[in-house]
Formats: sequence, C-alpha cells, structure tokens
Amino acid sequence: MSRIVMRFTGVGGQGVLLAGEIFAAAKIKAGGYGVKTATYTSQVRGGPTVVDIQLDDKEIWYPYAIDGQIDFMLSVADKSYQLFKSGVKEGGTIVIEPNLVNPTDEDRKKWNIVEIPIITIAKEEVGNVITQSVVALAIANEFTKALDEKILIDTMLSKVPPKVHELNLKAYELGKKYAQEAMNK
Amino acid sequence: MSDTREVISSGNELAAMAAVDAGCMFFGGYPLTPSSEVMHKITDLLPAVGGAAMQMEDEIAGIAAAIGAGMSGVRSLTATSGPGMSLKAENLGLAQMAEVPLVVINVMRGGPSTGLPTRVAQGDINQAKNPSHGDYKSITLCAGNLAECYTEVVRAFNLADRFMQPVIVLLDETIGHMHAKAVIPTAEAVKAGIKPRKTFDGPAEEYRPYDVAQDEPAVLNPMFTGYRYNFTGLHHDADGFPTEEKETCRKLIDRLFRKVDEHKDEIELNEEYMLDDADILLIGYGSASLAIKEAINELRKDGIKAGMFRPITVWPSPEERLYELGKKFDKVLVVELNQGQYYEEIQRAMERHNIEKLTKTNGRPFSPADIIEKVKEVF
Repeated sequence: MSRIVMRFTGVGGQGVLLAGEIFAAAKIKAGGYGVKTATYTSQVRGGPTVVDIQLDDKEIWYPYAIDGQIDFMLSVADKSYQLFKSGVKEGGTIVIEPNLVNPTDEDRKKWNIVEIPIITIAKEEVGNVITQSVVALAIANEFTKALDEKILIDTMLSKVPPKVHELNLKAYELGKKYAQEAMNK
Repeated sequence: MSDTREVISSGNELAAMAAVDAGCMFFGGYPLTPSSEVMHKITDLLPAVGGAAMQMEDEIAGIAAAIGAGMSGVRSLTATSGPGMSLKAENLGLAQMAEVPLVVINVMRGGPSTGLPTRVAQGDINQAKNPSHGDYKSITLCAGNLAECYTEVVRAFNLADRFMQPVIVLLDETIGHMHAKAVIPTAEAVKAGIKPRKTFDGPAEEYRPYDVAQDEPAVLNPMFTGYRYNFTGLHHDADGFPTEEKETCRKLIDRLFRKVDEHKDEIELNEEYMLDDADILLIGYGSASLAIKEAINELRKDGIKAGMFRPITVWPSPEERLYELGKKFDKVLVVELNQGQYYEEIQRAMERHNIEKLTKTNGRPFSPADIIEKVKEVF
C-alpha cells in the first residue's frame, strides 16, 4: 500500500489520542509501519489537539503528517478544525461533528466534508461519550479502507478493559453504519 | 533465540523500560512536561523488581534523592525537561565532583524558562555540556529515534558506572511522545551486557577511593559494606576528605577531564547515513534527524546526493570525525532546533567557518520540506 495519512483533531480531554494509537498498532500487527504523533498545547483541557497517523509498508522516519498530504481528517472541535484543516489535500475527506464544527462554503468546495454527529452517537446511541474515539476509528477506516477490519477491531479490544468490549464493539458497528450511510448519500 | 524484540511504544516509555532492564533500582524526580511519562512508567515498573520510585517535592530534591541512591551503590535515575535541568544543575556538579554515577534524562522542550512546555526544541544541548559551574567533562547521549530512547538509556547506565559520573540522555518532545514500532534488545541481552561499577576488594584500611590512575574514575564501594570514605563537593583527598593542597586540587580536576578524554573510544557513537557517495553533508541529531532522513531520500530522487552525519554521543563531541568530514565535504549544512548551539561546536571541530545552518526556535519541528528548500537555496 502507499502511505495513508490521517489526522484526528479535537480539544484536550476528548480522547482522540487513543484512536491514533490503535491505528498505528493495528498496522504494525498487520505487518508494516504505523506512527502516531500528537501535538497539543500547554492548556491540558480545552486546548486544540491534533493526532497525526501515518501507515505505510515502508519505514516512516518523520513522525508528523506533512501539510498537503493528508488524505483524511476527522474533527470534533471547531477551533482545531480551523487550525488544522489546511493540511488536508484538495479533494480529501473531512468528517466533522456537525453540532460542533462549522465549515465555510469554500471549505465544502475544496474538500469532501461529511457530517456525522460522532459525539451524539457515542453519548446517546452507544450510551457512553468515551466511546467516541472508537466511533471515530470505525468511520476513519470505512473512508480510508486503511486496514483489515478484523485486525483493527482486535487491536481496539486489546486496548480496552474486557468489561467494556461489548460497548466498544457496538460503538464500532455504529460508526461503520453511519460512515456507510454518509458515503451512499 | 533472537536478541531483539519488537515493541509498540513511545520514546518516554521506552526510556523507562530501558532503565529497569539495565538494572536501575531507584528513580527520584518530579513530573515535568514533556518528560512525565518516564516517571509514570518507571513508577509502574520499579516496585515489581524490588526497586523504588519517589516523587519528591521538586526537581532539586528529585536529583538529590537519586544521587543518594547512586552513592549507596545502586543504579539510579532522574528525568525532567529543561526547566528541571536548570534546577538540578547544582547537584549535577556535586555528582561530577564526588564521582557519583547517575543517569539524567532530559526530554527537551522550548525554552528558556518555562518556554513552550508541550513543544519540541533542542535548546539544551549547550547546557548539557556544562550544566553546573566549575570544570568537568560531561558525557551526554542523544536519542535520534524510538529504539535509541531504549538503547541510549542502557548505554548511559553502563557509561555512568564505567566513568563514575552523571550521564545525561537527551530526548526531545517529538521523540519522547511519538508512538510507533521500535526494535530493541531483549531484557536478557541488556542484562548480559551490564558492566557494574568497579569495587575494591582489599582490606578496608587500605581503601583509598580517590587514589586512582590519572585517567581513571574513583572506585566507590557501595555503602554499608565495611569500606568507609567521605563524600563532599569540596576538593578532596584520596579518602574523600576536604583539602586545599594545591597539587591534590590540580590533579583532581585534571583527572575529571582525563578519565573521559583518554577513553573517548569507549564513549563515542555516531550514525552515518548515505554518506559514502554524498556531495552534501547534513549534520543533525535527535528528532531533527528524522526529517533529515526523509529530506535526503527526496533530494536523491532529484539527483541531489546528500547524506547525514549524526552524533549519538554529543558530549564529548566527535571532533576527530567532524574534522575529517569537514575536509572531505565542501558543502555542509547543520540542522538543529535552536539558534545554532552545536553549529559552533562543529565549526570548532572542523576548524572552518563556511558552514551553513538551518535553525528553528518556534517550538515546531522541521519538516523535510524545510530542509530540502534550504539545501536547494544554499548549495
């Protein structure tokens, strides 16, 4: 595979870091290289957070996504969306939480902007807001087809306690369903 | 059985794992971004092997406790970032003077002062050479990738015991926090390579810990084993008691230098990447070298033959090799996340001034494009 570059953005405390770790670990498990690097501010909660994920069959040296090369971005906070959107390549996909992120009309022309209420899904349909990172994980993999789903799910389950496996599987399935619906629109 | 294993982790966590695998039994410190995960991880790991990790009231107490553990005879660690290094400076001088082995990890962030707590920099490279007042010879290693966060910490422990002095390991925010695959030695392989510090086995009344050859470190037996001596930051005699006798004072400082200078071959470590056929020499260390490698690969696609020299031991600097490279390459570019601290050392070692530099001090990493652009601009 050629290199897949993803960026997850939110604000500190939302838990976007975990999804990145799962992607990188799953790619390594599948045979290859995965790197996750987070950038955050000294404002621990509420500061813009960005997680860059790169997956490749070849060795990756530089750990950050290069602006203009990002295939897929997911954003659950407006301030980080506005800060980091310019790194996405033209025509790339940006999944946003429509209740929290406000793209401009120009943004909608430049990128494939997809609205999925990730946080509402996690909170109301899955029943725990913490699962938003797993909802996001499923959505990202549906859009990028980066990894074999089984390896990704197994890796995800290995990183959460057994008592919440079922909940996280539900989050994954819901994320997948919403992503497919959005793609078929 | 393979001597290596594959782990998925971050640089800070790998550094903590390395310490424990290398036999470290004590951590004293105070959490400081972006180094805190070293302390978090080692606090999990040490009790399981019978060791102890203590969060002290501040960075000064952290290193003081770690020095105490080092004096007692165990391998000991502290970890911090730039502001913590400033606070630890005085005690680093004590450990240099009394010849107490210790490993100090500095995960570099933007400075000076509190600077840019969550952002990358390499501005502490000069500080690592002389963190405290007075004359001594620092040993400082600098990890340039995830695996080296492990291997350089292991090496630091062995060097600290060999030369009986603090050894600083520099990471930076990027390397400390990046999370990916690293191929590292097995814990068994590390244990097999441990070289404990020298001890004196003769009769206690003949024990003179600081009475050693002029190019060798003190021989400090572990405490509570029947061998008595004195620890002090003052100039001291063969038993460690304060003295101002002029020849003793001269010899002490001379020896602190010579024990390192005359054994550089045991300390120096460099990486040379695609240098054999290169026309352009790029020099960098730490996380900057990751961007340099990507840049070299891209430049070579355009027919521009660049290669990299990367010191892994940054102090003492690899001055002989730098001198040779300075003669071989006309085109030299130093890339570092400060205003040119190591650039000046390279100028000195190469005995020339016509060296280009690319620097950055806004807390952001170099991208490969920054380096490609600079190479195309100046050469």
